[in-house]
Amino acid sequence: MGAITRGIKGFFAKLYLWIFCKFFTFIIVITLSLKRKRMSHDNGIGAIGRATIVKNQKFPAHDFFEPGQVFDLRIRHASATFLDDAMNCIRSMSIKFSKNEFKSPFDLEMNTGEISLFWSAWSFFKFAQLRKEKYGVEYIEYYKKYPEGLEGAKIALRRNPNSFHDLRYYSKTPFKFKGKDDIKRYAKYRIIPFDNIPETGIVDNLSDVDTGNQRIFPNETRGRNYLKEEYETRVKTQEVKYRLQIQIRTAQDDENPEIFNNMVPWNEEMFPWHDLAVLEIEKTLNWEDSTRTGFSLNNMPKTLGYIPAKSIYDYNSLNYMRAHSEWARKARMFSYKIFKFPRPIPNDDDRNSEDWKKIQKNKVSKFLRS
Amino acid sequence: MAIYPPNKTQKDIDEVYKRAYERTKIIYPKKKTFFSPRLRTLHQISIDKGYLASTLVGIGDFCIDLVAACIAAVKKINRKIFPREDVIHGTKKDSYVTGKITFAKKNDLTTPIHHMQVEFWARTFFGGWRKMSSGHTDEEGVFKLYFDFIEAKKFKYRRSFHFEIHQVEHVFFNQDSGEPRKKVSVFDSFKVKKSDLTGMGYDLGLIQLFYWEYRDDVPIPRVVIKEQNEDAPEYYSEGRNEAAAEQFIPIEIIKDKHLLQIKRNPQSISIESIQDDYPTNLTVAMEREIPGSTRCDYWFGRRMMNGMSCATFLPDEKEKGKYWVKIFGSCDYEVNQEFAFPTVYGQFKIADNGLPLPTKIIVKGQTDAYNKNPFQEKTFTPNDGEKWEQAKRIMRVSSALSSEIDDHFAGTHLNTEQYAIAVRRNVRLNPVAELLLPHLKEVTLINHTADTNLIGPGYIPRASAMTAEGIIERSKDALGTHDWKNWKPMEPISEQHTFAIASNLFWDVVHQFVDYFFDENEEDIKKYWYEIYCMSNDLVNNSVPLFLSEQDSRKWTGEERELNQDRIEYNHLRACFDNTLSRDIINGKKKSISSITKSKNTPAEGDMDNLKDMCKYAIMVATFLHTYVNEHQYEDIGEVLYCSLGLRYGDKEDGIFQPENDYSIAPDLTRATQMMWFSNLLSRTEYGFITRNEEHDIHPYFSKLLLDKKEEFAKLHVNVENIESRTNI
Ligand SMILES: [Fe+2]
Repeated sequence: MGAITRGIKGFFAKLYLWIFCKFFTFIIVITLSLKRKRMSHDNGIGAIGRATIVKNQKFPAHDFFEPGQVFDLRIRHASATFLDDAMNCIRSMSIKFSKNEFKSPFDLEMNTGEISLFWSAWSFFKFAQLRKEKYGVEYIEYYKKYPEGLEGAKIALRRNPNSFHDLRYYSKTPFKFKGKDDIKRYAKYRIIPFDNIPETGIVDNLSDVDTGNQRIFPNETRGRNYLKEEYETRVKTQEVKYRLQIQIRTAQDDENPEIFNNMVPWNEEMFPWHDLAVLEIEKTLNWEDSTRTGFSLNNMPKTLGYIPAKSIYDYNSLNYMRAHSEWARKARMFSYKIFKFPRPIPNDDDRNSEDWKKIQKNKVSKFLRS
Repeated sequence: MAIYPPNKTQKDIDEVYKRAYERTKIIYPKKKTFFSPRLRTLHQISIDKGYLASTLVGIGDFCIDLVAACIAAVKKINRKIFPREDVIHGTKKDSYVTGKITFAKKNDLTTPIHHMQVEFWARTFFGGWRKMSSGHTDEEGVFKLYFDFIEAKKFKYRRSFHFEIHQVEHVFFNQDSGEPRKKVSVFDSFKVKKSDLTGMGYDLGLIQLFYWEYRDDVPIPRVVIKEQNEDAPEYYSEGRNEAAAEQFIPIEIIKDKHLLQIKRNPQSISIESIQDDYPTNLTVAMEREIPGSTRCDYWFGRRMMNGMSCATFLPDEKEKGKYWVKIFGSCDYEVNQEFAFPTVYGQFKIADNGLPLPTKIIVKGQTDAYNKNPFQEKTFTPNDGEKWEQAKRIMRVSSALSSEIDDHFAGTHLNTEQYAIAVRRNVRLNPVAELLLPHLKEVTLINHTADTNLIGPGYIPRASAMTAEGIIERSKDALGTHDWKNWKPMEPISEQHTFAIASNLFWDVVHQFVDYFFDENEEDIKKYWYEIYCMSNDLVNNSVPLFLSEQDSRKWTGEERELNQDRIEYNHLRACFDNTLSRDIINGKKKSISSITKSKNTPAEGDMDNLKDMCKYAIMVATFLHTYVNEHQYEDIGEVLYCSLGLRYGDKEDGIFQPENDYSIAPDLTRATQMMWFSNLLSRTEYGFITRNEEHDIHPYFSKLLLDKKEEFAKLHVNVENIESRTNI
């Protein structure tokens, strides 16, 4: 009897998660994608190069990660959510083992900070609900209510880093890893600079009340696009290399769900980071190609994909939700065709802004007039 | 009158005293019925409001009572149907609610409320209460209540959860084992939306509680009470209100009748008829049997020593074997020009029977409406005939008023309140809470009532020389002579000094009890030492400055200096105040109360003894010392002409030096009935006794220790059954 009840309850929890994710994606499509916007990471720059799987592997062998194998690589660095590089933002690096805009055998989406600002689909919903952004200040209410969210922000925000290249990017929520030995394992990924130079942009002693203030410093001399411009120059003038690393743990029957919690890093002594691949960047992409670039957690081999989630409160529901937001990307691509391509971010004095509409206004009006 | 009334001996008076005492002692009646007149709380009383006189008020009260009874019944049924079981639902501890609790008053906002009990509850759709988590705030006032997130998210729970802050309302003891049981009530609660719970933490932020806040409007450590019946930091127990009503209603009816008579037909009422209407008190009963038995020198000395005044006998440096009793009158406090309040020094010798006999009375200060020189002196001896009798009355009256303000109100009521506030604000997990709360409860409530009924615009400013401002200032000064450190009871000066002997006997009992309690609970007392540290800080920081230390003594005139030095010397002796101790100076003011500890986490050497001594002192003041002065009011200020709180100057040249039958100096009719109402109210409505232990709130060992000494106390004219466990009237 108990098993039947549990089964029914489990079914409804999953059904609710599915409906929740679909509905959330629908809202994103309506409110953002059709306005040619991503959910958060509009302000970015793409690049291409190659990824070479390391030969001397210290992690369990996997069919996909054959030693020495070279993949095409397309990446995108971005600052969330504002359209101003000089603000205190989360920075991201997404990669795909392909030069295509979207199609790829392996994608990863990563952000700065070892922990995140939310930990489940439901938590992400509250995060979105309580953003209440105004003039570059946001999440005040969210940070007040959710101490881990505040802590995550303090750890993940990067103000005025020297380069996208300097930073450390984490996948946070774990993925499946079923290697050649067919043993069930979990994996987390991160990217660090190849030469492991110190990270810049870390803000020390950020006060609780000021974490939500992401505005540029007074008298800021860095422009709205300084980080993208720096990256462009860097790729042109010097070698830009990263290490993709992996952390592996074996699955247990009596797993503590906390191991899936993206707010709880795995102990590095017990689960050390191992080099997985070397990423070499050859050239940056222009605004249009960068903007077209899209990533998906569905772009992964089955043995490396996201871990199924049981409910909207499950820590794995975050990746589940990401994987189920494919329609948002498709709608965005569709909107590019309908409304023409969005304009790049100008180097003007509209600081602390996330006003995408304002940037696109001229174009849109022109389109409507034509 | 001589030492005894004509043809009477000490034996005659002692026998009449015994008979009168038995006849007039207060009997505590049984429970009332639903239809008897009632008093919802003690705070409803008023010296001039005809509380029971109006039919409309009666009907209104009945309706309110009915509604209150219905609400109480519904609540009771609700509690029965939806009990709050102490079972945590859920197994995991993977999510939490957090926050920080501080006090709320300005200047107190940054003070955390530590070790406060907090609980997190859910309700099912059918109304059942389900406990999700419970715990306490830490030293910084921060709480973190872990609960099972998935359990909380279950469909069966309603959309709102309840975060509750609990406080200990009363402490009870198992009368066999002595095990304490705390009755906890919800002090404040906050709803938490179920949808806001996302796993991990949920922060309720800063919760500012208006909790046992110190008042800013008086220079005395007092607690803020916004509304006594609905928004007070504590409430009377039900039994206390009922007991007050039982004794109070008949007295109230008499007063109301008198006030009506005075208003409508003043000729129909006199001081004698007022006196006759109230229950017969000790002195009236004695006078009926032997006229003069309470006016003779023997009785005067005996009551000065062992009555309500329980005076301090200061050895006369010049005349060996003689003592001085000093009653300080209006001094430089604000007074009105209707009543006299002279300073009176009485010289006594100890007679062969061990009791003091007055040998000289010096009346200092204004005694008539014309000569306002505060330093004029008049000396009387037993050879002065009628004037000697008048001087004795004047000393009785000054002593009664001084005793009422300095000893009763400041020395016990206000003194106890400052310990009650410090304990309530800080001591929760430390067993000292269980030791002290039963003795410190309700004092803040009765003091709040006293603010209006006794002080402004209450009885004392109307029936004596002191104004409301004067009383507050005088009380503040008086409080500056009270400290727990090195305190001990009054030394007996003869075997008939029953007050002092009984005080010492009771002090021994308190010692035995507190020592026993500390032995039993030493580990936890040390474990939660932080609470003691904070309590000590609150106690010291909020205590009044040392007696007269705020005055610039360089500006005193010669006469003022002489008087003030006398006051300091006598009052320090009276309160057993060790002026040699080094005390904390805060904001330039030397504080009267000594610190218990300066050590935050564990007691330093001597600190445990300090804490013990403080506990003993607080219990002594709240119980024996208060009871003594409180219950003797009925005997010593229960007859208008024998001793009131003030004599009017009148218009005669020799002012208050008039015989008792000159009513122009006695209180007028209104104040006479108010005085009788007042002394009856305070003495008759006592409730909460150590040995009767009506509510099982007294540690059985304390009751037992006291009962074991019943015979010894009885020989000292103290009935242990009548010693109150707390100052609540
Ligand atoms: Fe009292």
